Amino acid sequence: MSEFVERAAPPLAETAASRRPFGLLLVAIPVFLVIWLVIWPAINAISRTIWRVDADGNTGFDLSSYAFFFSDRYSLDNLAVTLWTTMVCAVLLLVICLPIALYLRFSQGRLPAYVQALAILPMFVPSIILAFAFIRVLGPNGMIDILLNAVGLPKIRTPYLTPWGPVIGLVWDNIPLTVLILLSGLGSVANQFIEAARDVGANAFRVFWHIILPRISNSILVALSFSVLGIFSSFTLPYLLGPASPEMLGPFMQRTLRDLQDPIGAMTQAVVAFGFCILFGLFYVRSVARNRGK
Amino acid sequence: MKRRTFMMSAAGAAAGLALAPRMSFAAKDTIDWYTGSDTNILDFWTNTVKPAFEAAHAGIKLNLVDAGDNAGILAIADRAIAAKQTGTDPQADYFEHSDPLLPAGAIDAGIYVNMAKAGLSNYSKVNPLAIESEYSLPYRGSQVLLAYDTTKLKPADAPKTWDQLVAWIKANPGQFVYNRPDKGGSGGNFVRRAIHQANGLDPKAFKVDNYTQEFADEALGKGWKLLTEIAPHLYDKGAYSSGNTQSLQLLSQGVVTMIPVWSDQVLQAIDQGVLPAETGLVQLQDLALCGNFSRAIVLDNGVNRDAALKLADFILSEEMQGAILTELGGFPGVSWDHVSEDLRKKFADIIPQSIPTFPSGKWEAAINDGWYRHVAPNVDRKA
Repeated sequence: MSEFVERAAPPLAETAASRRPFGLLLVAIPVFLVIWLVIWPAINAISRTIWRVDADGNTGFDLSSYAFFFSDRYSLDNLAVTLWTTMVCAVLLLVICLPIALYLRFSQGRLPAYVQALAILPMFVPSIILAFAFIRVLGPNGMIDILLNAVGLPKIRTPYLTPWGPVIGLVWDNIPLTVLILLSGLGSVANQFIEAARDVGANAFRVFWHIILPRISNSILVALSFSVLGIFSSFTLPYLLGPASPEMLGPFMQRTLRDLQDPIGAMTQAVVAFGFCILFGLFYVRSVARNRGK
Repeated sequence: MKRRTFMMSAAGAAAGLALAPRMSFAAKDTIDWYTGSDTNILDFWTNTVKPAFEAAHAGIKLNLVDAGDNAGILAIADRAIAAKQTGTDPQADYFEHSDPLLPAGAIDAGIYVNMAKAGLSNYSKVNPLAIESEYSLPYRGSQVLLAYDTTKLKPADAPKTWDQLVAWIKANPGQFVYNRPDKGGSGGNFVRRAIHQANGLDPKAFKVDNYTQEFADEALGKGWKLLTEIAPHLYDKGAYSSGNTQSLQLLSQGVVTMIPVWSDQVLQAIDQGVLPAETGLVQLQDLALCGNFSRAIVLDNGVNRDAALKLADFILSEEMQGAILTELGGFPGVSWDHVSEDLRKKFADIIPQSIPTFPSGKWEAAINDGWYRHVAPNVDRKA
């Protein structure tokens, strides 16, 4: 323990090489946790869905649960609605968050501080509260309907219990993370570049397209891969706001495991979900690696 | 970068501590009690049963735990079977409501107490119609009814048979909603009522041990056909709420006119003002919607087995059975003769003549899966 304490406060002048063991110790905990809580269960799930015990008690290579998933209309519909929700959310997040981040980066004064606080707010609202607030506001005979009715307008077609319900909830829930990542990316765009471009007569769009966008494309990729990973495997919002069918993979997995008591089916769905998440994760890893290479 | 690594490690370590297996042991004289029922049941135990029991039994405490749903209870039962095999402590003593036939083989494994032979002084008072197994103790009942808004539908016009109900649903599109059958019993038992309707109105046709794939495909298939026919006339052209409470919310917001409800839940909702006093209740007369008794189970290998049996005996006492009627809006688990005279008169209207039931076990999984595959998707809600 005393060794720990001594190492915890190295003199500033010490070389980077002598700090290395301490750095490795620090990373060891998260790496161990990831192996224990994520990688091991993942390997376990994959092996248990492909090496299965058949009726005679022999263990053998068996892909039938995957064959079922990919030939079952119902499972495929659920996968399709999950991918659809993820893509729509990603596009909407980019469309909503990029202007907010640009505004926060290039404006000064008190108002942007309030806007930033407002943009970060969803981070502190638990999704179950969000879901019930959503039902009260956008749900049938909710606040919007009452307001519309007060001015003599017809009711809206409520998104509650349709595929758009989870989309709206998930987009709102993911705004803070996306805005923060984009904002940190915009921090690397120096004011001089923009001033220089303006001096030679570039308009706002050209500045955005030729100066800002190339510099933050990495951040956009990171922001999108982060939120896409979360949305793909989300549970609470699709469960509470979405339709009974098609359902997203999160509620589908939970239902298959608990209500249908079919662990192999649920694990198969989980492995399919891993597969897609690894694809999204690769974008992130690639962009981080490319960034490091610079 | 250094700070970020530190934050990550700190967060990781905190998560690790939270997720590390709990090395605690069940405390002596604290009954570990689990429920998979709705919040109103947990509230009833927290506010009524727990104080009364602890006052009557000095030194024994109740630890009330919400297991989430029936599957959550079964997971704990699985743990108890594993604990029995290794001779360790299951950290569970009492299930508020479960089926002793589940998980399969639990009785043979010896984890449930035989209630008939446990020497409970109040066992003889239990309503004989409610007894299903010697390993469980019926202590409260509830039944699914139809609740409706009397400002939109006069009590005289309320449907009294399944055919009248279907005719009403078709004549009033968008005014009826039931929840997904696996997410709450009100929708679940409405779905089961449709299956009864399609199979000659005979609840005895379905037994926990007569499940076969062929019989289920045929019998349930007929039920799916009835439900698919009414689907386009439901709320939002075939939307299904995600639980008992969400259905109540749609009724209370005036979005729909009629929903299936649990008797206890709706009486409590009216009592608390969640639903207006103008809420009407009706039961189908050709065959009632299903209901069931909730049956308590005591774990034989629990550390506090004897204290848990005292609790089981206590819940059958006249005081607690009266509270089930007045506080919970449920039916007593004891015969009506053992309920106080004035309560018997007051609740004469809701005393059920019969409570049709539907077996669980494999039927439950078949209904849950079948409904999602056959009824939920086949609707074009944009039309």
